Amino acid sequence: MGNRHAFILRLLLIGIIIAILLPLLVIVIWSFAKRWAWPNLLPTGLSLRGIEELFGEHSNVLNILTSSIALSMTVAIVATIIGVMTARAVSLYDFYGKRLILFGSILPIIVPSTVFAMGIHVIFIKNGLNDTIAGVIITHIICALPYTVHILAGVTKSIGDDLEIQAQVLGCTPVRSFFIVTFPLLLPGILSSMIMAYIISFSQYFLTLLIGGGKVKTLSVVMVPFISGGDRTLASAYALLFVISSVCVFIVIDLIIRVFTRKVIEREA
Amino acid sequence: MKLCLENISVSISGKQILHSINLQVDEGKFVSLLGQSGCGKSTLLKTISGILPHSTGTITLNGSKVDKIPPHKRGAVIVFQDMRLFPHLTAAENVGFPLRMQGMPQREYLCVASELLERVQLGGLDRRKPNDMSGGQQQRVALARALAAKPAIMLLDEPFSGLDENLRDDMRRLVLELHKEFRMTTILVTHDKREALAMSDQLVVMSEGRILQMGTPKQLYEAPDSREVAEYFGEAQFIKGSQRDGVFRCPLFDFLYEAADGEYVAMIRPYALEVVTGEGFTLVQTMYGGDSIEAVFRHQASGISLTCKLPPDSNMKVGAAARILPIEDKVRLI
Repeated sequence: MGNRHAFILRLLLIGIIIAILLPLLVIVIWSFAKRWAWPNLLPTGLSLRGIEELFGEHSNVLNILTSSIALSMTVAIVATIIGVMTARAVSLYDFYGKRLILFGSILPIIVPSTVFAMGIHVIFIKNGLNDTIAGVIITHIICALPYTVHILAGVTKSIGDDLEIQAQVLGCTPVRSFFIVTFPLLLPGILSSMIMAYIISFSQYFLTLLIGGGKVKTLSVVMVPFISGGDRTLASAYALLFVISSVCVFIVIDLIIRVFTRKVIEREA
Repeated sequence: MKLCLENISVSISGKQILHSINLQVDEGKFVSLLGQSGCGKSTLLKTISGILPHSTGTITLNGSKVDKIPPHKRGAVIVFQDMRLFPHLTAAENVGFPLRMQGMPQREYLCVASELLERVQLGGLDRRKPNDMSGGQQQRVALARALAAKPAIMLLDEPFSGLDENLRDDMRRLVLELHKEFRMTTILVTHDKREALAMSDQLVVMSEGRILQMGTPKQLYEAPDSREVAEYFGEAQFIKGSQRDGVFRCPLFDFLYEAADGEYVAMIRPYALEVVTGEGFTLVQTMYGGDSIEAVFRHQASGISLTCKLPPDSNMKVGAAARILPIEDKVRLI
């Protein structure tokens, strides 16, 4: 019985690995393929054309990548800060209209993004926010908020305010009790929330194109035409850059939070 | 410090939990709040510490009003049932927390914490994290942490109910010892009547957000004002009867009693009854309890059942006849 259980688990694990890694592998091979046509199992010849064009002088990809990462990190940080505060309000306090706010917080998921993008676009044109980086950041934050709010609401609820109350009766001010007691326990949730918000922003194509009016160029905006364009080698090279940069950013966020946590703990010790 | 509650009412989301509570606790006393769960005793503790706002009345600590003073400045520390240790801090850091809040440098507060841990028999466990400690150890850390705050008043919210029986006795002893040593005014919330009777200088019995009666454990146990309080301490039996010319008459027996004439209910605990040889009652059930035997007798004439205590070496058999006499000064008319 136990053996069978382990066997099924292992099978599942292998399935998941294949489902995640196989497409990645295909992208890697495509990035370096000269020609890979039916019915060949492997590409006929390798070339560095994709990589060369990706980093070529006219492509400016590194600039776009850096500004994309900066933009998405801004979104991740702001969406997480708003998320922490909203989560705190809805999970620890009772107030009039709480259900409405909770429902409102998932609206950006329920309403198709094309629909609410049009609404936002009209408002932004009236306020002069269209075609600006700020406009794109605000739109991305709106898309990311449902996720950050709900991830953090769960964590906040499970931590509760019991420990903060205990800290307060022991002589700790309310604000300090949040930073000393709740914040360290909230960090794992903050990590997932930031990663979620980052990837939502980083992979946003349509909204960025519409609100940014083509002037705000992110990696997604530049990449998608290549994918639909049919040059698979170049498209794969872009996709590879997309994946690698995201993974790097995740690792960096994770490291920062780990160091931060350790700092907090060391300071306490 | 002396605590005074006047006319305290508390409502939580529109529902009134406490109804004009008046309570006075003198400096250095140990007071227990007793009552069924949901009677508002924990709410009262939270109100005293300032976590819950009260809608009417005033709280005074040592003569000064503290109604507007937030929890972190009030100096009334609660030890909760679920201990609420900070999981990311070590035992010593937890105990030192209130000192750190007072601005004491790290080295000093860790040193004081270490001494306090020693005091609650946890010497050497300074660097242990709460999750690596047993329930009893965690409870001791919580206690030491509250002591470190040097509170004006110590509030214990059912601190022993999560522990097993042996540990609970240990903790009770420790709390009493610490109370004697630190002379801290203490309020204990509990629903364990034995605990309350054994530990307190003063008892307060609550029900549905009101105080039913307060007094010394002896007063409350032996002379309850109401049937509810009498029932709370258990084993009370109630027999209706009437009082006239210094004699109380009920279907079971008559006895001399000092009270104004009228109809009463006699509150009779098993220890207030004496079983002697004779007729009138039949033994219908016995339960062996180690240091005594609990025996249920039926009154032959009226069919009323009465529970008495028999000495453990008694060899009375079910069906045997006996006479039961009340011990007058241990019976109370309500």
